Amino acid sequence: MSLLQINNLSVRFGDANAVPVVDGLDLSVDKGEVLAIVGESGSGKSVTMMALMGLIDAPGKVSADQLQFDGTDMLRLKGKQRRHIVGKDLSMVFQDPMTSLNPSFTVGFQIEEVLRQHLGLSGKQARQRALQLLERVEIPAAESRLGAYPHQLSGGMSQRVAIAMAIAAEPKLLIADEPTTALDVTIQAQIMELLLGLQREQDMALVLITHDLAVVAETAQRVCVMYAGQAVEVGQVPQLFEAPTHPYTEALLKAIPEHSLGAQRLATLPGIVPGRYDRPHGCLLAPRCPYAQARCHEQRPALEPHERGAVRCFFPLNLNAEVA
Amino acid sequence: MSVIATTDAVLTARDLTRHYSVSRGLFQPAASVQALNGVSFELQAGKTLAVVGESGCGKSTLARALTLIEEPSSGSLQIAGQEVAGASRAERKQLRRDVQMVFQNPYASLNPRQKVGDQIGEPLLINTQLSRLERRDKVQAMMQQVGLRPEHYQRYPHMFSGGQRQRIALARAMMLQPKVLVADEPTSALDVSIQAQVLNLFMDLQEEFNTGYVFISHNLSVVRHVADDVLVMYLGRPVEMGPSEHIYSRPLHPYTQALLSATPTIHPDPNKPKIKLSGELPNPLSPPSGCAFHQRCPYATERCHSELPQLRLLEARQVACHHAETING
Repeated sequence: MSLLQINNLSVRFGDANAVPVVDGLDLSVDKGEVLAIVGESGSGKSVTMMALMGLIDAPGKVSADQLQFDGTDMLRLKGKQRRHIVGKDLSMVFQDPMTSLNPSFTVGFQIEEVLRQHLGLSGKQARQRALQLLERVEIPAAESRLGAYPHQLSGGMSQRVAIAMAIAAEPKLLIADEPTTALDVTIQAQIMELLLGLQREQDMALVLITHDLAVVAETAQRVCVMYAGQAVEVGQVPQLFEAPTHPYTEALLKAIPEHSLGAQRLATLPGIVPGRYDRPHGCLLAPRCPYAQARCHEQRPALEPHERGAVRCFFPLNLNAEVA
Repeated sequence: MSVIATTDAVLTARDLTRHYSVSRGLFQPAASVQALNGVSFELQAGKTLAVVGESGCGKSTLARALTLIEEPSSGSLQIAGQEVAGASRAERKQLRRDVQMVFQNPYASLNPRQKVGDQIGEPLLINTQLSRLERRDKVQAMMQQVGLRPEHYQRYPHMFSGGQRQRIALARAMMLQPKVLVADEPTSALDVSIQAQVLNLFMDLQEEFNTGYVFISHNLSVVRHVADDVLVMYLGRPVEMGPSEHIYSRPLHPYTQALLSATPTIHPDPNKPKIKLSGELPNPLSPPSGCAFHQRCPYATERCHSELPQLRLLEARQVACHHAETING
């Protein structure tokens, strides 16, 4: 059984007629797996995980056939029960470490808070464990950092502290929402290596939310590509990069400058993501898709499984391609 | 990049330096931050110089010096052959026409209360004697050129997406057909498919107007696509500078090598180990002695601790490393 099972998840802001921000999403994460959710701004990747954590407030509405984490139905949980799971078995690292840490408390206090809440540690024990955690995330001079406030740390250091907090209770699933977007490239490499090291050692599942396909290619085992609230392609790394089956995945890959080495112009996907007033009747990508046919403008395709994964397209690409 | 000055250089910087004085409290003497130290380069019309490096390396300070927003502490800057230092007010106003800028965040660089047509036309209002109708025609032609609909002249910035806003910012910057365009991380706030559209627009406009670009970015795969020359900076100093193809195919400075290696790629090679840099950028208030990079450099020796390496010519580019030959032997 998978660790996380999401079936037909929808998130709307407003009444039942409002355009769904997440639209019928199916997703599963296995124990110890690294899954990446990729998509551009507004594709619903962060909202999906916020729905799982119970962070969607009114007027947001979450509905799903199934939203199960480690045998628990996350939809039916009351506040107190939820707080026993979120932050303990299921934790999250956010994009901007400068805003996700509380500026008024020391780093040590914030880590110890997790330990007090979820593991019942106190006093010296908590202090000791917090110190171990800071060393675990490779913060130099960890002992003296316990008393530091977030503003005294650099971006990379703050993100390490946020990771230390997230892994303090040895979660089964860690969600990292653009964990390195705010960081420089050499620091990004350090943080990604740290996350993957922790994932391997603790046999923790890692969901990596990102817009950077190159980061995905280097870290994830499986990818879910989202577009305008829907999963359009699910596949394995590196097969998905070698032979994408959805036109959107293909366009995303082509738009990376690395793909067009030596070329004058980059391949582009014309137009922009549909908004709430111009949502197409048929396939959501149809107005921008170079392969679109009459049927694409009339009917909306479903996510259909195939040999290497699943794709939401009437005319998938590369289905019979030979991939390693 | 030639070391000898040529005549059609639109921008020439010699030993550009900018120091800031930072107060450390009432009873402490003020400290000095060397945000920019000894940067020299030459930019030809129609070419692109990319400036890369991590936060705090002096990229944006360089941009502020080039656009005459701030005066350099020392060094000389020539725009289209004219020296900036010592120029009169009127001459400076004229020089500012020739250097325009595009900023990182198009959500902050446009005035939310002004119609986009008026914003694009403002450079004309300030710098030319054109009538209102003439200005409007020019603005609409430019809007068309950057891929905006001319009938959106009366709209406000909030009605546009991020990519379209960056087009507006670019249209405004190109309105006076500047000789130099300084773009500070122009695509880092955009999604990858929109980034590709905007980068293509940058290339098209350069071809059309023969503008020299100074392209500041931390994204090395974007830089590789746009740049003719690359300037790699670390803690305010240039560490390697030269033609893009040389630097990408064979980086000589250990920092350039680490930067390139740390950049994620969609086709990772499992047999090629990543160079791992430990630590972070040192505190600019108390920069390390000798080579600023020696604390993080895997090849650092005693000499690197004590002696500051100067830029020197090696394999068709300039590099500031004592051991460039031995490392890359």
